[in-house]
Amino acid sequence: MDALPAADAVTTNGEAPVIRVDRVSRWFGSVVAVSDVTFSVTPGITGLLGPNGAGKTTLLRMMTGLVDPSDGTVTVFGEPVRRNPPLYGRMGVMSEHETVYGFMKGRDFVRMMGRLRGVTDEAAVDKAIDRVDLAEAADRPMGTYSRGMRQRMRLAGTLVHDPEILILDEPLNGADPRQRVHFQSLLRKLAAEGRTIVLSSHILEEVEQLADTVLLIVNGKLAASGDFRAIRVALDERPYHVLVVSDSPRELAAAVVQLGSVDAVNVDPDGTLVVLSRNVRDLQIELPRLAQSASISLRRVEPLDDSLESVFGYLVER
Amino acid sequence: MLPIFVLTLRQLSGKWRLSIMSVLALLPVIIAVLMVSFEGAPTVREFEDAVLSGILAGAISPLVVLAIASAAFANEIEDSTLANLVLAPIPRWQIVVPKLLAAICVSGPFIAISAFLTGYFAYSADFRSALAVTGAAIVGVALYSSAFVWLGLMTTRAIGYGLIYIVLWEGFFSSFVMGVRFFSVRYYSIAWMHGFDARRFAGFDDFGFGLAVVASVAVFGGFLLLAIRRLRYMDVP
Repeated sequence: MDALPAADAVTTNGEAPVIRVDRVSRWFGSVVAVSDVTFSVTPGITGLLGPNGAGKTTLLRMMTGLVDPSDGTVTVFGEPVRRNPPLYGRMGVMSEHETVYGFMKGRDFVRMMGRLRGVTDEAAVDKAIDRVDLAEAADRPMGTYSRGMRQRMRLAGTLVHDPEILILDEPLNGADPRQRVHFQSLLRKLAAEGRTIVLSSHILEEVEQLADTVLLIVNGKLAASGDFRAIRVALDERPYHVLVVSDSPRELAAAVVQLGSVDAVNVDPDGTLVVLSRNVRDLQIELPRLAQSASISLRRVEPLDDSLESVFGYLVER
Repeated sequence: MLPIFVLTLRQLSGKWRLSIMSVLALLPVIIAVLMVSFEGAPTVREFEDAVLSGILAGAISPLVVLAIASAAFANEIEDSTLANLVLAPIPRWQIVVPKLLAAICVSGPFIAISAFLTGYFAYSADFRSALAVTGAAIVGVALYSSAFVWLGLMTTRAIGYGLIYIVLWEGFFSSFVMGVRFFSVRYYSIAWMHGFDARRFAGFDDFGFGLAVVASVAVFGGFLLLAIRRLRYMDVP
């Protein structure tokens, strides 16, 4: 099995980094949100992946200059990003907050975002709105939009000045499946045009479908970075814990441990079995068959570590 | 700067907020009409102390401005839309100045109309005196706006702290402690009024018009600079 990339790995692939995060930490009082994180980002799509509360948003806010790091530096195109307004003209940022100016029409919002970024050309406003496929709703107040529409119009406002860098915090929140597909195809197109895109998500599959490179953040630390395939291989090979409750736990344990899909079985004092398996798909088929043939009633079969936190936790421990 | 000015005007022009401001602004006019309608009408000095200084410059004007100016940034901080503005490639002063101007433009008309009508009824339709009261009130609005825009950037409890300031500093201490008047927007405003119409208000000065002008410029510019600095260094939600 391939080893996971080192946590401090630099994702440059030989290219000059566009964004450089160097030994960055951020704490709020006694709470450490981000701890000593170092990485670089090059053109293409980079996914910032981690469970809720891992520090992704704080990291993105430092990368956009909205927040000062407590320690370390963030540079964009070689310049400090904090207190550097001229640099913001080259960046497009969409925060996780979905609040919009409800009284404002979508077109007026995109126009305002453009004007603030030096865009006076109405064609640029139309183009940005077309890109998110919202031309029909553009003349309605944003307060009447669905959550997904608000997100798309906010993205149009982010794209209107044609930025070289896009930083998107949980951009697919609220999007329905059709919007999701459209959004993903748009991001791929933007990346193919040479842009640097950093997007955060707590959904593994979302990042997997989009990102060339992944930065895995857990508990404020960079747990892994690099090609997603290496992380996916590690995920596929991780052992799962499955809880099994039956009417004959010892008999079932003796039989289950013989299965090829099972690595080990623990029997708790209360008769609960915890089965360790690297091949849950086969276990799902074999376990009911085995129970049926041995006339054992299965009362409960439940994966113990299906949460994203447990997945990330596993990767961090490796 | 125009997009931020227009945006802020729209943000600060909520129906409820404007309705409450209208009622507040009407109070000095009603009080003035009542005072001059009855026998034993107050002297110019008494009316100035009670209504123009005590109620208009010391209570209604700061209350109206507090409700409007403190929201210029506070609303955007609360709903996290401030990032839309601060991530634009423009200097911070180009964000603060239009917001401050918008706050003055929204609260100014309420106080100006209130001040004009109050002065007009109180001074028997003396146009010059009414204009002097109006001009001074507008100066007061500008000074309070500068302070409260900054306060809205400093804390999410701007209304609470602002009320404490209005009641304790502008209301209580500046009335009873002479030295405090040199640091009171209420008394700067009154000094401007004396300067605008020396004929009616001759001999009333707590301190000179020149000093009031210098102090007003210092207060307005000082809080404006503090707000710009705050926006530059704060963590934006």
